[in-house]
Amino acid sequence: MQTAFRMENLSSGYEQVRVFEGLNLSIEEGKVTTIIGPNGCGKSTLLKTIGRILKKQQGTVYLQEQNMQNLSSKDIAKKLAILSQTPVAPGQLKVEELVAYGRYPHRNNVNRLTKKDEEMIEWSLSVTNTLDFRNRELAQLSGGQRQRVWLAMALAQETSILLLDEPTTYLDMAHQLEVLDIVNSLNEQHGCTIVMVLHDINHAARYSDHLIAMRQGVVIEMGTPNEILCADVMRKVFHINARIMEDPATKTPVCYGYDILKEPTDEH
Amino acid sequence: MRKNTSRVFVLTISILMLFIVGASYLHITNGVFDMSVIDVVKTLLRIEPNPKFDLVIFEFRLPRIVIAALVGIGLGMAGVVLQGITRNGLADPGILGINAGAGAAVVIFMFFFQLNLVTADMSRWVSILMMPMFGFIGGAMAAALIFSFALKNGHLDMQRLILTGIAINSGFGALSLFLSLKMNAQDYESAAVWLAGSIYNANWIFVAAMLPWLIILGFYVYRKSYLLDYFQLEEDSITSLGIGVEKEKIKLLLASVGLVSACVSVSGSIGFIGLMAPHIAKQLVGIQHRYVMPASALIGACLLVIADFIGKTVFAPSELAVGIVVSIIGIPYFLYLLVKSKA
Repeated sequence: MQTAFRMENLSSGYEQVRVFEGLNLSIEEGKVTTIIGPNGCGKSTLLKTIGRILKKQQGTVYLQEQNMQNLSSKDIAKKLAILSQTPVAPGQLKVEELVAYGRYPHRNNVNRLTKKDEEMIEWSLSVTNTLDFRNRELAQLSGGQRQRVWLAMALAQETSILLLDEPTTYLDMAHQLEVLDIVNSLNEQHGCTIVMVLHDINHAARYSDHLIAMRQGVVIEMGTPNEILCADVMRKVFHINARIMEDPATKTPVCYGYDILKEPTDEH
Repeated sequence: MRKNTSRVFVLTISILMLFIVGASYLHITNGVFDMSVIDVVKTLLRIEPNPKFDLVIFEFRLPRIVIAALVGIGLGMAGVVLQGITRNGLADPGILGINAGAGAAVVIFMFFFQLNLVTADMSRWVSILMMPMFGFIGGAMAAALIFSFALKNGHLDMQRLILTGIAINSGFGALSLFLSLKMNAQDYESAAVWLAGSIYNANWIFVAAMLPWLIILGFYVYRKSYLLDYFQLEEDSITSLGIGVEKEKIKLLLASVGLVSACVSVSGSIGFIGLMAPHIAKQLVGIQHRYVMPASALIGACLLVIADFIGKTVFAPSELAVGIVVSIIGIPYFLYLLVKSKA
């Protein structure tokens, strides 16, 4: 198997605070991998570190078996795109203009879009169903529309790897699935490698090939949705008693109810 | 859509040019000594040259208008860059203390060197040409100080940037004042006039001193202006696109410090132009910086030529420093922006 990311002895965090330490982990290419875990477990930090948004403190990250340290930021931008948790752009910016920003790593002339640029923008808009409001200003969009536009910008970057940091936060139930369906089709139809952070474990189980379960900066367990979304792992990772069954429609495990664990099992 | 924006841009630029020409016309014909258009045109085209007109136009009024326009261009561009990289619409070279830093350096320069150099003609040239250099060092020092205090976890904290800017501003202002008080009476007077932001003693040497800086750095920031579009996104998204955020910001910051210093070294500290011009430009041509940049430059030029004309005529025969006129217009505008940004 080809790895999209391989981490060796990776440590990262903010200033004096170490979020995780000595992590060794591989993420497979062409698959959807989702990192889950309670708040503050380091899942976003991990995603940001492998996406070089956050500087690692120690260790090595290999991007498609190349040491990321030896790649220029622009070269990395041609291989992976990151959609951050709370992206910001001026409200007067038009949808199409924002999506065109995604072409930056491929552009030589900064003032003129090439035919290839135009094609990629067109494709990104159509995949994310945002063609209808391409000429609208960002301020006029709903939350769901805006999130799809941001996704379109990441797609315009024309990368085989996509990192998404909680792409469904603040969206209602239908719009959450809309975004995840787009992500799913990118993986199935275009072979994109997806690494994302999700809060909803049912979504994670339904849309992922692999789950990485973290707690307090440590990877507790890694495996298929069926291996991770089970009472035992949920107890260790979230400190909950989860009631789990298989959704007959999607054939994936769902947690249909849970209680907070009275007596924590680990170090506390 | 794109075509539309560029048409608006061309129109805006043309109108601004007309404004500048109009203001220059008023400026050149009015004053202690009124001249008719025909006199001015004749003098400029060298038809029946009249030494009296020559003196007024070429030695007094023309260099003054040229300096006003150049300083306006420099401050207008620097303002766009600073507002772009700080993502703060209230950033201005004056508020951030870069003016004050450059000003203090120039006062130090005057204090130590100018004293001995007033007479010899050649060295006067050299010293005036050196002033922007000194201004740059002072401005860069102020910028470095502000940024080192505003840096938190390797990222620029915008609130701290503004606050330290204000502190640095008063610090360097106090230093300038202290040094100018230590000067002899004659030097003090010229320093004081200069500190208030005035260009009435403009001459061609000043133009020569600042022009190369303005051309080189102006061209540089214009070429980099597309980056300012990206800088309106939050830092994670910019990094994700493969832009070296901190590196590019520092380069642009240094370029704008250079622009401001060149301006300050010939005109003293003129605030608010760098604040107002970019805002007006964005109202007119939208938010794409390759349009905003030239528009803001011309608006800056326009504002300064008009302000200098007002300063020259309203209280004639005595003159009001152009920096003061600009502040009178600028402070209400600043407050207006502050109120608007809260709403």
